[in-house]
Amino acid sequence: MANELVNVGVAQLKIGTSEQMLRTILGSCVGICIYDRNKKIGGMAHILLPEASGSSQIEKYADTAIPALINLLLKQGCTKEFMSAKIAGGASMFKFKISTALGQIGERNIEVTKDILKKAGIALLCEDTGGSTGRVIDFFLNDGHLKVKAGGVEQNYYKV
Amino acid sequence: MQEQIKQRLENIISTMTQLPSIPDVVSRIINMVNDPNVDFKAVAEEIAKDQSLTTNILKLCNSAYFSKGKEIVSVDRAIVTLGLKEIKDIVVLVTCRNVLDKPILGYDLAAGEMWTHNLTVAILAKKMAMDIKRKDLADIVFTGGIIHDVGKTVLALYVANTFKDIMKVTQEKAVTFIDAEKDVMGFNHQDIGLKILEKWKFPDSLKAVVAYHHNPENSPKEFYKAVSIVHVANIITLMAGVGIGGDGLYHALNPDAVKETGISDADLEKYYSIVPEIVKQAKQI
Ligand SMILES: [Fe+2]
Ligand SMILES: [Fe+2]
Repeated sequence: MANELVNVGVAQLKIGTSEQMLRTILGSCVGICIYDRNKKIGGMAHILLPEASGSSQIEKYADTAIPALINLLLKQGCTKEFMSAKIAGGASMFKFKISTALGQIGERNIEVTKDILKKAGIALLCEDTGGSTGRVIDFFLNDGHLKVKAGGVEQNYYKV
Repeated sequence: MQEQIKQRLENIISTMTQLPSIPDVVSRIINMVNDPNVDFKAVAEEIAKDQSLTTNILKLCNSAYFSKGKEIVSVDRAIVTLGLKEIKDIVVLVTCRNVLDKPILGYDLAAGEMWTHNLTVAILAKKMAMDIKRKDLADIVFTGGIIHDVGKTVLALYVANTFKDIMKVTQEKAVTFIDAEKDVMGFNHQDIGLKILEKWKFPDSLKAVVAYHHNPENSPKEFYKAVSIVHVANIITLMAGVGIGGDGLYHALNPDAVKETGISDADLEKYYSIVPEIVKQAKQI
């Protein structure tokens, strides 16, 4: 079961098929992984900030990237009833004046991401978020499982 | 084991032989360019002595990030078009790449990840310096950005064996990763970086950036602004996940350093939001 590695960069959005594995590296950003268990097609968005507020760079922001990702999957013949989501990331600096806007980015990213998924009607099955760890996440499209590596520790999320 | 590691690192630092090397020409060029009475012909001659350095410099002068449009085919032309300071930045880029683009195992960074991180910090820091109208600091923060984490190249091997202990210290004592490195190994990557720059005979301004990029509060006054700019650029780059390793975000953003740069909260977020574009520029170098 060798999956072809596809790197998803900061503020990128990619979809793939069952033989692929999507990887991204997260700090305060959030990785949103959506999988259609029927079609075995999935996609990942790596968002930097919660709200686009008019920006045309839709991949950067949770409120524009998530609908765009869902649309891409729908175009591939996926259906919402078989789609589910997993999210990871949204870390914050260990020591930070939380009052500054920058100090809250991780938290805001998680919050808005969940909100947008809910509005879109996509079930959120698991999350590996918050704290101060960086995360390398691998999203396996053969079965939709997510592997999160954080601070040398690996965690797998199989539910789809 | 921790005592053994401390001993080993002390040994590495005092003998210096196991610290990475770069060609002597680099410190000669940096010091020439920092001399207000520099003769640009002399710099050009110094570079021309090394054929592969010359070739690599010209390649970079014509890369998307540095190019001023017209193709540059000689070092003389490069100096005239880009200026001595920019040529010095390019010399450091070209010669340090071999040292910095390797995998940094203990920190969980794959080959090239730290290099991209360093370039991103360098480009972002330079942009900040220009935006706050401190063009005079642009080259220090750029070069400093490129080499700020050089100490990791040596420390990584030891971090690989002590990572769990370091993390435990961050939790139990509620200190940053950099403080925990020192707690466990006797040295952090700033200390080792400083020793490397001593070996390389780099100027005090760059030593300050390397030695205090996580602790700008300890920087000598005269370099405080430059150190603060690199400090802020580094934190923003890490938050965006670029070159984030096993140490994650177990670091601190120093509010006084932010104040020193004069960058507003809103602008901090703006810099964070343009990291993807900066990474794109970094990858073209
Ligand atoms: Fe560092
Ligand atoms: Fe760094």
